[in-house]
Amino acid sequence: MSNKNNSENVAYNELAIRYNLSVVEYVRTSMAALSGCTAGLLGLTGLYGAAFYIFAVTSLWLMVLFKAGFKTWKSYFISRKGLLTNGFFGHLFTYILCWTFIYGMVHVY
Amino acid sequence: MSGGILYRILVIVGFMSLFHSAYSAAQHRSYLRLNELDFLGLPLDISIQAILSLYIIVYGILQVSGTFKEIKASAELDNKSWGTFRNIPSFYMFAHRGKAFSKFYNPVMSKSYLEEVE
Repeated sequence: MSNKNNSENVAYNELAIRYNLSVVEYVRTSMAALSGCTAGLLGLTGLYGAAFYIFAVTSLWLMVLFKAGFKTWKSYFISRKGLLTNGFFGHLFTYILCWTFIYGMVHVY
Repeated sequence: MSGGILYRILVIVGFMSLFHSAYSAAQHRSYLRLNELDFLGLPLDISIQAILSLYIIVYGILQVSGTFKEIKASAELDNKSWGTFRNIPSFYMFAHRGKAFSKFYNPVMSKSYLEEVE
């Protein structure tokens, strides 16, 4: 109980939070574009592509947690669930754009 | 945007590898078309190369994109002492009257000396 109270009263440095999230956003955008390219290259169609996107997002999440340290991530991010779900659908469109483009480049023409 | 040159090279190598696998896939596709075969999926080596190079690029970008900062507000202050916070440059005093107690102090009595300094 006392531990819970402690975590509620922590003062955060907003600039550092924003900086960390912008780093993650940068990496996620690149990941969406690149995994879209890879999905198009592999010739995935339909739900396989969506499954590949979920796979890519989850593995990126694990890589970010690995970079922050699996035990020390709490000193860099407030919640790691938010790290996984933030901008999921926003980046999905980037992913689909690259996916269809590279699929057309490699497999159609 | 910190990060070693090593990771930048890693990103470039990954991009080249991804492009190479894309080219291989396109060539495989044209080979199938010329022989009038059906597309049953890419050869395993091209798929493995594509996924591996994706991971190489993402790992490189993750390292290049910069280090995370501690989000606790007190994180930057932990290594500083109280003396740092009490240091106020506006209140520095270079002409303290206490120097009159020194043995080597010889007072300037005339006012004209002050005017010469200025």
